[in-house]
Amino acid sequence: MSLIRRYKPMVPLLLVYIILFIIGVSVPGMWQPVAFIMFYIALGQAFNIFLGLTGYVDFGYVAFLALGSYGMALSLQHFGPELGFGAIVFGIILGVVMSLLLSLAVGAVALRLRGAYFAIATIGVNEGFRYLVEGLRLWGGSEGIVLSGKMREIFGREMSIYLSTFFSDVLVFVVAIIAGIVTLTILNRKMGFALMALREDEDAAKVMGINVTKYKIMAFITSAMFGGLIGAIAWTLKLTYVFPEDVFNITYTVEAIVIVMLGGSGTLFGPVVGGLIYGILKYYLNIILPGFQLLLLAPLLIIIIVAFPEGLVGSIKKRIKETRLYEYIK
Amino acid sequence: MVFFDQLAANLIYGAILGAVYGLATMGLSLIFGVLRIVNVGHGAFIMLGAFTAFWMFVLYGVPPLASISLALVIGLALGFVIFYAIFKRLLDAPELSTLLATFGIGLLIEELAKQLWGPDYVGYSWNIGAIELGFTTIPLTKLYAFGSSVVIAALLYIWFQKTKLGAAVRAVVEDRDGAMVCGINVNQIYALSFALGIGLTVASGVLVTLFVPVGINVYMGGEYTLKAFVIAVLGGLTSPWGAFYAGFIFGLIENGSYTILGLIPGVEPFSLTRFLAFMLLLVILLIKPTGLLGGEK
Repeated sequence: MSLIRRYKPMVPLLLVYIILFIIGVSVPGMWQPVAFIMFYIALGQAFNIFLGLTGYVDFGYVAFLALGSYGMALSLQHFGPELGFGAIVFGIILGVVMSLLLSLAVGAVALRLRGAYFAIATIGVNEGFRYLVEGLRLWGGSEGIVLSGKMREIFGREMSIYLSTFFSDVLVFVVAIIAGIVTLTILNRKMGFALMALREDEDAAKVMGINVTKYKIMAFITSAMFGGLIGAIAWTLKLTYVFPEDVFNITYTVEAIVIVMLGGSGTLFGPVVGGLIYGILKYYLNIILPGFQLLLLAPLLIIIIVAFPEGLVGSIKKRIKETRLYEYIK
Repeated sequence: MVFFDQLAANLIYGAILGAVYGLATMGLSLIFGVLRIVNVGHGAFIMLGAFTAFWMFVLYGVPPLASISLALVIGLALGFVIFYAIFKRLLDAPELSTLLATFGIGLLIEELAKQLWGPDYVGYSWNIGAIELGFTTIPLTKLYAFGSSVVIAALLYIWFQKTKLGAAVRAVVEDRDGAMVCGINVNQIYALSFALGIGLTVASGVLVTLFVPVGINVYMGGEYTLKAFVIAVLGGLTSPWGAFYAGFIFGLIENGSYTILGLIPGVEPFSLTRFLAFMLLLVILLIKPTGLLGGEK
């Protein structure tokens, strides 16, 4: 009983996913926009686990997605012919492990630092790693890895099209569901309360005997692993190439920040609402006004921070506090 | 010895560039020292200065050194506007808000600049002769950039030490509440320091163009944001003077390592130098987060 009650806030999340999925598979031509929106929902969910729950900003977050995408690319490139579909599974694991290792390395240094110092430490992670890849001519250097030919060779033409245009998008749905469950589990448990205390007042939390560094690192690693997962499936498997210039691009970090802040940081439903609005806006703005997305994003971000720091879901939560709906929104 | 000639030349060049780096970081440290705001959009203001120099030179033939004062005025005005429009409302907000706000402002400036001036690389050449040193030649423009940086930093130092306003700024850095009790209008000092920080940064952008003849681009700032953070952290983050000295050290390290990395076959020294800058940042933060050159406890 209590378990069902605790997981009630998953209901609106799943409803959004189911509606999107049904629209995608039943309305012709809608699968692509739905997949596009789902990518942003998943990205928001993953980023929220760190930014939302701890109140720390990681400006180099996109590096985790990048390593995930390299993990998948390396697996398909080297083990594709022998393992077949196993190479996809191995690629996902490799991508997650690579992001995990980077998050351990960065986290060990950066998470000893407080607030602004942390943000400064992360600001160069994506660029720094990109220069390492290009400087040492690692993994194809600045030319990147192109997999479309290789994938046709391994899976056949029909199958590789199916993998990149449908299967990878379905996996993004799965990731978004898992990320939701993980976020809710953290919020329901001791870790969620510890992080809430940390976000409000780190010194006070420390004095209360909360091991703040441990919980920060746990949130950081979890968020990074989801980043790697998204990079492996939504980038490499879907796009069939990896270019360092694209995968280390700071724009994705910005987008993740905007999504989380728009929806409401630290909430479960926030990144879903943020990702939904942002994804729809971006998809249709790209058609109407191509090339203007950052120009529109930047003032949007500033306005949200100055005028609505709690985001949409944060504001709604306050409004419905006395009603029965409150149980469903977290 | 070709290698040692090259190393010596690069180190001299590094010291010259380092002075400009130092100046380009002082604004960042000043703003953090006084307002506790990390300006993540720092590089965008350097880019504005670079374009000021470019347009003044191309349109009116104004030599870059004369554009410095114009850049300073533009920066001051912009700083006051941004402070009163945005940061005055965020003074008591959590750190996350100011971080994201400066980030958004930097992006907005870059994107507006892109709409105005296009995404292409531009440049100009201001050739006024060079000094022959035997193993290398140093263009006079770079020496002037070095001299201007030192002069501006010295003027700022005198302003801080000798004027009443400068003393007020120092008082606010020491103790905000104490300064308020002594009758200092803290909000005004915040606005002034923010504007001065942005003004210095835009002015330094003018000097940066003397080192990147064809590297003026709306996204050029990102590289300098990262470098400025390395330098600021090296210098203790809250002290503009620490930042200025740290700029020298960084210039020497950057150019020295470029020469040495060039000896290793099969790598791209240019990209690796940038990676090293980032590693340096992590290492300093790890061993002494308050900076190698002192700073707060």
